Amino acid sequence: MKRLITFFTVLTIMPTIATSSQTGKAATVKTAFHRETTVSIEINAEPPILWALLTKASDYPRWNSTITSIEGNIALGEKIKLKSKLDAKRTFKLKVKEFDPEKKLGWGDGQGKRIYTIAKNGNGTVTFSMTEKIGGPMFPLYAKMIPSFDQSFEQFANDLKKESETIMNLK
Amino acid sequence: MTIELLNQEFETNLGQLKSYLLRITASAIDAEDIAQDTYIKATEKLETFRGESSLKTWFFTIASNLAKDNLRAQKRWVENVTDITKDAALSNQNFFQEAMDIRMTSPNGQYEAKEHIAFCFTCISKSLPLEQQLCIFLKEVYEFKVSEIATILNTSEAMVKYYLHTGRSKMITIFGGRCALINKNGVCHQCSELNGIFNPKQNTQEELMKINLVKEAEKGNKEHLFDLRMQILREIDPYKSKASELQLHHLEHNRRVMENYL
Repeated sequence: MKRLITFFTVLTIMPTIATSSQTGKAATVKTAFHRETTVSIEINAEPPILWALLTKASDYPRWNSTITSIEGNIALGEKIKLKSKLDAKRTFKLKVKEFDPEKKLGWGDGQGKRIYTIAKNGNGTVTFSMTEKIGGPMFPLYAKMIPSFDQSFEQFANDLKKESETIMNLK
Repeated sequence: MTIELLNQEFETNLGQLKSYLLRITASAIDAEDIAQDTYIKATEKLETFRGESSLKTWFFTIASNLAKDNLRAQKRWVENVTDITKDAALSNQNFFQEAMDIRMTSPNGQYEAKEHIAFCFTCISKSLPLEQQLCIFLKEVYEFKVSEIATILNTSEAMVKYYLHTGRSKMITIFGGRCALINKNGVCHQCSELNGIFNPKQNTQEELMKINLVKEAEKGNKEHLFDLRMQILREIDPYKSKASELQLHHLEHNRRVMENYL
């Protein structure tokens, strides 16, 4: 029984460990039908700055080295077109599904969903996290064709940190 | 706070206030109207002024609120405004005739490239979102602190910093791509071309090399070049400078063209 409890505890905690670290290192959890990549990083800036950067579509290419362009209005229920450097030939048509100002932003399509969260740490810093879960019943058929998100996620988080802190440090 | 002190302070700050409003609305008439309305509102609200900010900050707060409701201030232009307005000027015989009359008869009708650089920035800054444009002028030209700008625009210091940084970055990119003074491949030579027209006896290149912005261009420090451009704006009063009447004529022309274009 004790061994069984330990096994389940590990299974439950594993994704938590992946999301709670603030090192800016991405972690990916794979199952047969899903893949989930997460990165978290501590940022020394106020939430409105991160929120403004995350929700101004046309400004992304200026500060974010992973995104070529985002067209559309990032607001709840709106559709956007995103081109990323990871898969330069594709245009992702996404819908903004979550929009809680300065706290949570989410967009996705039938294959996956990406969530950004901003949490205050109580010491003037925030923890920024982003998670993308992709998959579904057909996932095993195309899983190998989807590149790893790890490096791109790390770049995204570090770009956001650099830009937010640059803005925060303005005098 | 007495009405006498308010009058005195308003008079002291009126020049900067009108210059700010002109650069935001691109209209001398609207700038004058908003400045007058600012004074009226200030006198009406005199009893509510508690001295939590300086009177200058308070005047700019009232003026900025009025400007945000002004249609010409709200109107956003385009990055290539100077290309569009140049084409319009070239196809309008009256434009150069009027400009040459001002050049020949007005004591404030001289042409100086520096003044045109300031005028050009005013026009292109109207392609930024209004909040970014207001923040840049308030910080870089009228030298308010971030905390004071947050008061003036009724927003947080964090958002002021965001508007300043993004607005500044966009303007650096636009000028870096367009302005032939700082980029040999830049597409816009208007300040040089106009110098040839209005000051035909001058060696334009020699004149340009007197400007720090041009002298420093080869070093390629974009942030520094932007600061030098802002220094030019700080030094020029668009109502009283030696070129003010000529540049006001150009600004009126550009505003009319953009109102028809957009």
